[in-house]
Amino acid sequence: MSRRTFIKITAVAGATVAASRLFSHPALGSVVYSPELPGGEGVITEKWVPTSCLNCDTRCATRVRVVNGRAVKVTGNPLSRVSEGENCARANVGLQVLYDPARITAPLKRTNPAKGRGIDPGWTEISWEQALSEVGDKLKTLREKGQPERLLLLSGLNTVSAEDIIRRFAGAYGTPNLVSADGLNNEADKAGEWMADGHYTQSAYDLERTNYILSFGASILESYKPLARSLRMWGKIRGERPNRAKVVVIDPRYSVTALRADQWVPINPGTDGALALAIAHAIISEGLYDVDFVNNRTSGFDEYKKLVLDYYDPDTVSGITGIPAETIRQIAREFAATGPAIAWRGRGATSWPNGSYTSYAIFCLNALVGSIDVPGGVIYQENPPYRPLPEPAEDDTAIKGRARPALDLRKTERFPAAEVVTNQVADSILKNNPYPVEMAIGFNSNFNMSAPGTGRWDAALEKIPYYVHAAPFISEMAEYADIFLPLTTFMEEWAYDHSPPGSGFAEVRIKQPVVEPLYNTRNNIDIIFNIAGRLGGTVEQSFAGIGDDAGGFVKYRTAVLAPWNKLLEQGVWVGPDYEYYKYDRIFKTPSGKFEFRSGNLEALLKEQGEEINSLTGLPYYREVQYLGDSSDYPLLLSTYQPLLNVENGSQNYPWAQEMFLVMHGAGWTNFVEINRRTAQKLKIKDGDTVWVESPFDRIKTKARVFEGIHPGVVSIAGGQGHRAYGEWAKGIGVNPNEIIGVDYDRLSGQAALFNTRIRVYKA
Amino acid sequence: MARWGMVIDLSKCTGCQSCSVACKAENNVPHGSPEEHEKRQTPFWHKVIAVSSGEYPTVRIDLIPMPCMHCDDAPCVTVCPAKATYRREDGIVIQDFRRCIGCKYCIVACPYGARSFNYKEPDEEEYQRPDPPSERADRGIWPFPHRIHGVVEKCTFCFHRIDEAVKEGKKVGEEVVPACAEACPAHAIYFGDLDDAGSQVSRLLASRQWLRLREEMGTSPKVFYLTR
Ligand code: SF4
Ligand code: SF4
Ligand code: SF4
Ligand code: SF4
Repeated sequence: MSRRTFIKITAVAGATVAASRLFSHPALGSVVYSPELPGGEGVITEKWVPTSCLNCDTRCATRVRVVNGRAVKVTGNPLSRVSEGENCARANVGLQVLYDPARITAPLKRTNPAKGRGIDPGWTEISWEQALSEVGDKLKTLREKGQPERLLLLSGLNTVSAEDIIRRFAGAYGTPNLVSADGLNNEADKAGEWMADGHYTQSAYDLERTNYILSFGASILESYKPLARSLRMWGKIRGERPNRAKVVVIDPRYSVTALRADQWVPINPGTDGALALAIAHAIISEGLYDVDFVNNRTSGFDEYKKLVLDYYDPDTVSGITGIPAETIRQIAREFAATGPAIAWRGRGATSWPNGSYTSYAIFCLNALVGSIDVPGGVIYQENPPYRPLPEPAEDDTAIKGRARPALDLRKTERFPAAEVVTNQVADSILKNNPYPVEMAIGFNSNFNMSAPGTGRWDAALEKIPYYVHAAPFISEMAEYADIFLPLTTFMEEWAYDHSPPGSGFAEVRIKQPVVEPLYNTRNNIDIIFNIAGRLGGTVEQSFAGIGDDAGGFVKYRTAVLAPWNKLLEQGVWVGPDYEYYKYDRIFKTPSGKFEFRSGNLEALLKEQGEEINSLTGLPYYREVQYLGDSSDYPLLLSTYQPLLNVENGSQNYPWAQEMFLVMHGAGWTNFVEINRRTAQKLKIKDGDTVWVESPFDRIKTKARVFEGIHPGVVSIAGGQGHRAYGEWAKGIGVNPNEIIGVDYDRLSGQAALFNTRIRVYKA
Repeated sequence: MARWGMVIDLSKCTGCQSCSVACKAENNVPHGSPEEHEKRQTPFWHKVIAVSSGEYPTVRIDLIPMPCMHCDDAPCVTVCPAKATYRREDGIVIQDFRRCIGCKYCIVACPYGARSFNYKEPDEEEYQRPDPPSERADRGIWPFPHRIHGVVEKCTFCFHRIDEAVKEGKKVGEEVVPACAEACPAHAIYFGDLDDAGSQVSRLLASRQWLRLREEMGTSPKVFYLTR
């Protein structure tokens, strides 16, 4: 046990830690009724149960106050170091997730064979036994036909433990087709880091110790994960130490992060890569880079330097980005002088065609100033040392099935570096490419809402002969299900969890039931154990001896970290402190160094028979290809994720709805934000009902005339426009994904989200 | 006697609204609906408001977390004909639901929009904090289990927490803070005794630039905002 963990335990035991914050925490005995209770009439039972949130994939440690069997309050868990015991606003919204009146209370079977938008499935309640035996039979038949690859598994926001179990099931069953939502989020970010240092992961930033943040479209205070950590550290670096960190935000839209930053620099959309290279130009030409780091820890610098100096001087790039050359130089000088500094890329910059290259170009800035694996720079996330799972049992069917090409065309010529290409799956289903899908199971997924080109997903779901959906509520995807399996919510179930990269050190959270499951629902882990048992053979064997059910599985994987009852009592396990400067081990590249010219990429493309030229491995900038003609569709459509967009696929939560858009003082809605001058030209006034039309479709919404947006861009917040169940969500606002076209960053398969052209006119 | 006040550091605040949601959860403040929102009838004891100025690209929007200001010279107190709203000795401006006659004078008088009229019938949500039994009343009153329809409500500075802490001899501002302050992930909200020069709030006000909202109204608010 690390020293820190030991100190934390002492604190919880109520001893003598003087940190006022710990004491202000109700879990440690401030304003709660005392636990010793009078007997008889009107007894109040009260407890605080440590668990964790799942309203986004930060999966923060929480404590839930339970009074008379009802969960009534959620606070952070002071033992968590990732967010230092803090949560975001959605933690309490978890109560409305648990007590959501639109939850489904028993398994459902479809009686109406017709499927489609707005078509009533004709649900009828069935028993779990009937539901799971039908699903099990279908799975068995498909596997016996020797076509396990024709099973498609879709995964939305799940606990880490459920993700592990679903992945194991895919492998044991024999399908390569496990598709997560990652391809809609930050795959291009990941590919950019991989090109430089071989880590195909989201970057972790040592926010707590940095002095300068240069954000390229990263929504640090609204949607970037781990969110609650960013919120906590923001307070720390902006007001709890003598040297206040400076924050500069590059974004065509004035986001919450931009308004809280020191400087907002609006940029022509899609040109962040050019800006990064111009900043590099200024840093290199003015001799401001970290010579020691560059000479000793990097390779390819000379080619990179030549590229940058030849093509990207700030005066030229000013014409591309719309940012004055002097501003570019100012940012470059500050970035190089105010170490440790972070160049932080987000979806806004990288969810574009060529997003991987943009991501790579931005990431390289960190190496230029030596911000790699140093305090306050880019760090490398440690994974929690869960007890490893035994190798799954496998038979010929599984081996052959898994070896088939995947539906999302990952790692093919189409998407050479991709790990998952979420949005491609809809088209593959429709075209039987490379083979037809016979059956699909969706776990908390909602891609016909959350992926661009929603209509294709509707058509694809309609086409799948047998679809099973597992979630606590009926989402847009659930409406296509033949069988609906109602899941427990995260306050009723067992799981283990950790956050996406950010903290550096590892931290595990245990979810345990805070209240008894309210309805006849099950955990998705339990469902998979059950189905595996029905399938028998190697599938069943793969799930033997790893705990037998959700609670057992969680214990199996985590009880090696600390005694089980201690884990349950504390809810959190924190790993050893982060170690910096691991230059001898961290670079997974051909040169063993940080690469300004990507050996990983060149090797991969060569292997796939592609021609390599002198630019291929360098982070060069290419102009974006837009969807739609600029004369017909003069504006660009952008989207963003407000903090109160609950990420579980529903939005049926009044607390989140009534404060949905803090910048606009607006709730229960979204709208199209449009620059005042642009609106004037179009004769559109604030509050007018307008059509937003792309080459693909159009949606009707209200106009919000807004000073905080680039004149060539309009923006719509994501998270609204639900059509399925739930009186607090259905029919509220619009879903921009209905009109966004389908395009990708080729290398990573990241969906391009912001290159669709549109026009806006009065309805 | 202490004089309770709140200091909100806008330089740390992230605009995340944890404060607003925590207040709803702590105090059983009813949620609204699209219709109530449209009619501006959703009750909020705490709200983060946006104040904007300037034009693209030099626009400036500030997000300001707003509880009741607990004005030392509170117009809401002056206008209340039923003496339902009054200032406690410790400076907390409080609302007695049973005395309130629902005339809404105070809503008109409050320069900060801090008050909400309860248009709703009393309802009970599963996640609301239940009513303690009467024999437990000595453990601090729990004022908000059932709301009275047709009266005015507002932020109480979480007086139930404060009173309990004082009774138990705990340090208000360190060991015990209002729910909004407790929930703030950026630690941007401070609470304490303005008359105690050693309290954290007093020290912050002595060392940093601060402002109060609508100073010109002469209300002497006890919520202070730290700027950079
Ligand atoms: S950051 Fe995510 S996991 Fe953490 S409290 Fe907010 S919604 Fe829950
Ligand atoms: S802010 Fe309004 S409600 Fe609060 S004390 Fe002042 S006048 Fe009264
Ligand atoms: S002090 Fe209490 S009642 Fe007032 S806004 Fe904060 S949480 Fe709400
Ligand atoms: S909780 Fe804190 S950081 Fe979030 S809006 Fe409120 S004051 Fe600001």
